[in-house]
Amino acid sequence: MTGGHAASVRLYWIIWGWLAGLMLLGVVLSELNVLPISTRGIVTIVVALSTIKAALVALYYMHLKADRRLLALIILAPLLLIALALGVLFSSALVRL
Amino acid sequence: MSSAHAIATPHAATLLAPSATGIPNGKLGMWVFLASEVMFFTGLIGAYIVLRMGHPAWPGSEGHLSVPIGTVNTLLLICSSTTIVLALAAAARGAMAAMRGWLLATIILGSSFLVIKGFEYAAKFSHHILPSTNLFWACYFTLTGFHALHVLGGILFNLWILAYTAQAASWSTRGHRLELAGLYWHFVDIVWIFLFPMLYLFN
Repeated sequence: MTGGHAASVRLYWIIWGWLAGLMLLGVVLSELNVLPISTRGIVTIVVALSTIKAALVALYYMHLKADRRLLALIILAPLLLIALALGVLFSSALVRL
Repeated sequence: MSSAHAIATPHAATLLAPSATGIPNGKLGMWVFLASEVMFFTGLIGAYIVLRMGHPAWPGSEGHLSVPIGTVNTLLLICSSTTIVLALAAAARGAMAAMRGWLLATIILGSSFLVIKGFEYAAKFSHHILPSTNLFWACYFTLTGFHALHVLGGILFNLWILAYTAQAASWSTRGHRLELAGLYWHFVDIVWIFLFPMLYLFN
């Protein structure tokens, strides 16, 4: 195994550790009520953890970090639409409140 | 060589040649497909959020979903994402035996996920919990059902790639599809990363 290959394999295992750890952290936070914050706060933290995990998979396992910028733009287009849709969704919910 | 014959027996160099975008067409096509899949699942997840926020008394799973089982299933998919990227790394350094091993591990992990999901479904049905029971279960079966179909599709894709590895000639012309199978598999993992807390943890 060359140095470059060995380094990338090591990085994949490190990312696996982060993915498993962040997933377990989300389960602990939502199930054991270890933080003195509201349910809405817990939901926000767990969604943020999920977003970090998804970003780790996309950047390192799907190689978006090192790949052509065009691929990132392709996947960014639906994400912008999602942000727009969620923005409309939550702003309308806030208006109802 | 006629152009028809060239299409019938494509060479790996032709298939992997960068297009005008600098990206092989197959890879570019897979990313565009995944972008459309993002919109597909966003539609379903968006519907779930709208229904949940607009419901005066959201029914929830009422204790019928096991967080430990969901956690194990999430861990299986996370592990399978790692094994398929290790298969790709093994293929890149020409270690075919290791590549086959990691790809087989991915298939086994994905199949285990489906088996556990099958047991979960069977337990729900035995308690007469169906999509028609209430809004939560309608969303649960729709979201997890479509996701499970995608997992099944990914397993079949991976089996197809594994079959190529048996023949050197097939592998030399079609081996690059391992990267496409990997991209698809990682997407399936990302979808579950969001479905798991939504359905199992936020009750």
